Amino acid sequence: MVSKALIAASTKPMILSILAGGEIYGYQIIHSMIEISGGILEWSEGTIYPVLHRLEKDGFIRSQWKMSNNGRHRKYYRLTAFGRKELEKEKKQWMSVHNVLSKLWAPLPSFD
Amino acid sequence: MFDLEDAIKSWRKNLNHSESLEDGAKTELECHLRDKIEFLLGQGRSEEEAFAEAVSKIGTPDTLGTEYFKATTRHLSGRPPWQQSRWMPPLLSNYIKIGLRKIRRQKVYSFINIVGLAVGLACCAVIILYVTNELTYDSYHPDAERSFRIGAHTINQVGEHRSATTPAPLALELKASYPQVEQAIRIIPPFENAQNTLVVRGEKRFFETRIFFADPEVFEVLHIPFIYGTPKGALEAPNSVVLSEGMAAKYFGDELALGQTIQIEIDYDIGNANVRIEDYHVTGIVRNAPTNTHFKYDMLLSTSTINRFIPDIDTDWVHWHGKFTYVKLLPQSDPTEFEGQIQRAAAMAAQKFTERFGREVQLNEYFLEPLTRIHMYSQDIRRQLEAPGNWYYLYIYSFTAFLILLIGCMNFINLSAALSTTRTQEVGLRRVVGAQTRQLINQFLGESFLITALAFVAAFGLMWLLLIPFNQMAGTELTLAGLKQPVVLASLIGLLFFVGIISGSYPAFILTAFKPAAVLQGKSVTKSRGALIQKFLVVGQFAISIFLVICTLTVFKQLDFMRGQALGFDTEQKLLLRVKSNLNHLRRDYEEIKKSFMLHPSIYGATVSSTVPGDGDQSGYYLTKTDEDFRKAPWLTVITQDYDFMQEYGIRVVAGRGFDRNLGNDQKESYIINLAAVEALGFATPEEALGQSFQASYHRQFKRIVGIVDNFHYRGMRELVEPMILDIEDSLFSTITLSIRIKDMRELMRHVVAKWEEHFPGVPFEYSFLDENFDREYRYEAQMGRLLGIITSLGFAIACLGLFGLASFVVRYRIKEIGIRKVLGASTANIVTLLSKKFVWLILASIAIASPLALYAMNRWLQDFAYRIKPTGIVFLVAAAGAMAIALGTVGFQGVRAAAANPVNSLRDE
Repeated sequence: MVSKALIAASTKPMILSILAGGEIYGYQIIHSMIEISGGILEWSEGTIYPVLHRLEKDGFIRSQWKMSNNGRHRKYYRLTAFGRKELEKEKKQWMSVHNVLSKLWAPLPSFD
Repeated sequence: MFDLEDAIKSWRKNLNHSESLEDGAKTELECHLRDKIEFLLGQGRSEEEAFAEAVSKIGTPDTLGTEYFKATTRHLSGRPPWQQSRWMPPLLSNYIKIGLRKIRRQKVYSFINIVGLAVGLACCAVIILYVTNELTYDSYHPDAERSFRIGAHTINQVGEHRSATTPAPLALELKASYPQVEQAIRIIPPFENAQNTLVVRGEKRFFETRIFFADPEVFEVLHIPFIYGTPKGALEAPNSVVLSEGMAAKYFGDELALGQTIQIEIDYDIGNANVRIEDYHVTGIVRNAPTNTHFKYDMLLSTSTINRFIPDIDTDWVHWHGKFTYVKLLPQSDPTEFEGQIQRAAAMAAQKFTERFGREVQLNEYFLEPLTRIHMYSQDIRRQLEAPGNWYYLYIYSFTAFLILLIGCMNFINLSAALSTTRTQEVGLRRVVGAQTRQLINQFLGESFLITALAFVAAFGLMWLLLIPFNQMAGTELTLAGLKQPVVLASLIGLLFFVGIISGSYPAFILTAFKPAAVLQGKSVTKSRGALIQKFLVVGQFAISIFLVICTLTVFKQLDFMRGQALGFDTEQKLLLRVKSNLNHLRRDYEEIKKSFMLHPSIYGATVSSTVPGDGDQSGYYLTKTDEDFRKAPWLTVITQDYDFMQEYGIRVVAGRGFDRNLGNDQKESYIINLAAVEALGFATPEEALGQSFQASYHRQFKRIVGIVDNFHYRGMRELVEPMILDIEDSLFSTITLSIRIKDMRELMRHVVAKWEEHFPGVPFEYSFLDENFDREYRYEAQMGRLLGIITSLGFAIACLGLFGLASFVVRYRIKEIGIRKVLGASTANIVTLLSKKFVWLILASIAIASPLALYAMNRWLQDFAYRIKPTGIVFLVAAAGAMAIALGTVGFQGVRAAAANPVNSLRDE
């Protein structure tokens, strides 16, 4: 299990990364996140939408209602240029945290 | 059958509950739900299962709404306004609003409630401060649990007693020979002038009473924090003095006292032979002694000063009057074992005594008193630095304070219960819109807490006022700063909860018991059960008040009795002048001094004596028929006096005659004794004692008994009269008594001061009145009387306020009835009678309950007095009549007001 706080913190870079692959709607985002994580990360699925709203309000993503084949209204999201920059920033931050942690947790050199 | 579309529709409808979800968001969520269900169906679930799982995965409408709100809000907590906080009950703001509105709308009732509670709380808080102060005596010293004062238990010719004093070398011996002693120190009050030590600096000359010699290590045993200087070595050199900050300010003002000098007069020997006024070097300034210590110091002098005047102070095991030994043991040592071992030292002291005086000491044992127990557990120990505390009065005060609080609470309950009938509609409505019983109870408990909290605020103001008279009466120095102590704070918070719950639970219970349907249909709510409890509470309030009144009156009657005629001498209009310096002039020239005071027309009499009634420690004579053997002789308290004493004090002679300067030489040849002494000396009748000749231990002269006086109550009437002897012996004179007629007090005092300065130049002028002086004998009783007086009047006032409120409520409740009665021809008197009748019965019931309880309590209290009054019916009658009159006055006032009102006004809207 991953703590709530960590999930909350990592939702934004995950969404941005998934959207980097192209236009996509809410259900698909959460579906692929669950798939990629292999079920280790758990969301209350609906809570992805408030985050998407927030990101849109901040100007990182843009949304568009489209009618799907089966006659359902779907809201598609895609990354803005601003969002792309934000993703780079996030990437850097997470990588630096990752580097520090992996150095800290690397097995100690042994002299036998 | 499960219908997916219906289920989804109703799910979406549910989303409407959340205020932050917009339509677009809802559509998006619905779309998500459908996709999920489709996916789950693809995995082979049934429609019902798929729906259930999808719904649980997507989250509840509530969390979704909250998340949406969080995503858009700028609030720090992120809590949407429609959601309950975790710690505040819902509708709290509404409750507060309603509560405050009730207080505003019903100003009189709220005032009565708050004032009643505030008075009770203030009394309780003051008593809590007092009790805490008494019970925490000396617990602030570090290592108090292994620090002790050593006392001595002796049996000798004077009798058996336990005293707090021990020989001066004991501390040195303990340090030298007992390995478990970490430190041992002595505290020695100035020898012959401990009660009036003259201190001089420049123009400033005062008598001080809290000066002590102390060993240099005193600061290792007792906690005395330094402001200037250091404890180490402060009391090492001779003529060093450590001042309290109060003393430093008194003598040095804004100057830094450290390093300066001050003059102190010490009388090292009885009879003026060794009075030294010397310079002392200020080596430290320490904090003032706190109120909760038995050792209240103003100045500490180095013990090394003493050696120059009493060279054998460190080796004298025989004279141990007025020397206190304190010891601090090492952490792991066993006090009981140590106490056993120090009997070696006790035996040595006894042996030295026998060697010196040739008299066997029957018993001499040392015992340890833990520092923290000195104040409250040493009532049987004599010669202490401070009079020990008194459990008896501690209980009485706590109990009365509690009673007052109870009256306040009963007021509150009664008024709220009465007022609750006006709130039935509100409760009904709350019920209908879904309030649960628990919520209602919380609301009303909350309201009572609100009022209690307001009362608390008011109580702090009252406390500030109450502490001034209380400190005067109880001789304490309590301040509001004492409230900071954790124990006091905890008790106050406890009190807040106790009062809040006690006062709030009954109204809450009544109000929640209403049936909403009945209330809203306008049916009257039956209140028979409530009415009974209200009556019970009124009776309780008045029973407590009447009980207190009877007790107070009895205490005052006993005090009156003890101050009055029965004393056997005059206490009124006697001005006392104490001669503390230049005593030789008084003892030689007293007749001339008296004459010069009596030059003033308002001073019609003057006398000189060793002591006057009300003085604490008495000296006495051993009387023998033969030359030796004082050991077995009876001991008589003595007042040495001039020829005028008996006349000025109005002491009655029952046989023989008084001293007479015209008959022979009474000064050389005559004694007078009292009736108790006749018995003590073994005579059957006063006549038998007349003419008998005795020798006194003090001056070794044989004198004849020429007169017998009635037993006058020299030490007050709590104790039996002691055998007493009157003697004309000028070497002990120290007090001048002036009998005065007060016309112009200021003019009279100018004369007295002028004459004083003529005879005793440079000695500070101090005076007192005999009745005040004598009242010290009764200080506990007088203190209790005054305190009871205050508490009783407060209690009575609260009870009357409550009754006033209740009566006004009853009048309001029956206003239409009164109107109709008036229209039909009832007179004002009829209506007042109608309204008062019920209350008369209640007051009668309270009298019936209170009287026997008060009788019992007062009989117990009076047991302590050797001479006492009988509780009389008058006291009970006065209390009962007073209670009845005040209660009827209160109710009658309301009744008259209601009866006088024009019935048109009350009946108009019918």
